[in-house]
Amino acid sequence: MAKTSIINKLYNTGPLLLLYYLCISEVDSNLEKIFEIFTLNFQIILIYFWVLKRPEIMANGHIFFAGLINDVVMGFPLGISSLSYLIIIFVGTYVRNKSVNTTIASDWVTFFMAMVFSNILFFSLLNNFSDLSFSISKIGYNMFFTFFMFPIFWLLFNLYQMTFIGSRDA
Amino acid sequence: MSVSRDDFSIAFRSALLQRGGAQKFSVLSLIFLALIIFFLDVYGMKFTKPVRSLINDIVYRVTFLASAPTRFIPEVSKDLTSFFNVREENKKLKIELEKFKSLELNVEFLKDENKNLQKILETEYFNKNLSNIVLAKVLVDKNSPFLKSIIINKGTKAGILKGMPVTKNNYLVGRVVETNYLSSRVLLLNDLNSRIPVTLDQGAQAILAGSGLNNPILEYLPEDYEIIEDINVFASGKDGIFISGTPIGNTNEKGEVELFVDPNQLSFVTVNRNIKKKGDF
Repeated sequence: MAKTSIINKLYNTGPLLLLYYLCISEVDSNLEKIFEIFTLNFQIILIYFWVLKRPEIMANGHIFFAGLINDVVMGFPLGISSLSYLIIIFVGTYVRNKSVNTTIASDWVTFFMAMVFSNILFFSLLNNFSDLSFSISKIGYNMFFTFFMFPIFWLLFNLYQMTFIGSRDA
Repeated sequence: MSVSRDDFSIAFRSALLQRGGAQKFSVLSLIFLALIIFFLDVYGMKFTKPVRSLINDIVYRVTFLASAPTRFIPEVSKDLTSFFNVREENKKLKIELEKFKSLELNVEFLKDENKNLQKILETEYFNKNLSNIVLAKVLVDKNSPFLKSIIINKGTKAGILKGMPVTKNNYLVGRVVETNYLSSRVLLLNDLNSRIPVTLDQGAQAILAGSGLNNPILEYLPEDYEIIEDINVFASGKDGIFISGTPIGNTNEKGEVELFVDPNQLSFVTVNRNIKKKGDF
């Protein structure tokens, strides 16, 4: 019984560990080396899905901390990724509070709004308060691919949830 | 109508302030905390610099350790391939060695000639003092779509300052843009924020600007200048940061500059401490 509960706990912490690992390691979801315009913000897909489906396994404090780590590794001003992740949490929690049944289509549409709000905040802060310059086309490609890859990861995360954590939709 | 407005405000407030269960902090409190950290970092209060430097050093080391498994697999496959190709490689190397032996004599002669000419011109002879060259290991090479940079394992402790040029096999790679006590961040030449003055084979001056993609481009070329393939690009040294004549790359058919060193394949680099010009980078 105790063994099962430890395994369940491990499964429950899987998404959070993945988020931390993506933020702190060299592993990235950026496949520019293979296909020059393909970049993806995998972290926001991960956060949005789990905040929407199982907020208890993605605590706000952990997401905030993962954002700080991401800033250090990427060389951005501290706190900027945390802010963008918190916007994702905010939209996700709002949608969760307002909706009874969610489908892949409704999650996809609401994810688009979360991504737009989060990226507007992220890039406007960077543009106004740092010396870093960005290519608008790159931001566009990044948003485009993140948006269009969402359903694929939605299905994968859903499968993970059904198999290892158990279904308990909003 | 008023009911739906109430619903909206309840859901909105709940999303911002909700706590309990696994959520020990509300979104609103964390947003405030993130904003405070952000502005403290951006406006660089006196105490934030050493704190940020310490955090950077710790996180970079952890990143290096966390990335070890991802680095191990490609290394093993590379080693296996080179093991099977060792005979063929030996043959090739023998031929190359012969070629280099003959070239070495030529280089010696040119070196002496160059020294003598510089003496004649009474220019300051730049002595490449090896003690001023610091070999550094690349700790983190996270491929970000927005910032092309690497983290190296040498910082202010090793005498590294902001702005110092970074090379690999004498080819220019980038420059130091952030220093911590035990680590530094190097901005690569292909980053969108990178701008350096360069000289082309025929003596034309230009600015090498990072495009955010693999190959940087040439800007501010002389009017009516037509870029052809295979023009060598060197640092002009006009900014007082880079050593003039440091090779960078050559032009391709699209007019971009193909770097001599692949910025995605860096494992060791050298930092030149001879240049110590401070400035805003």
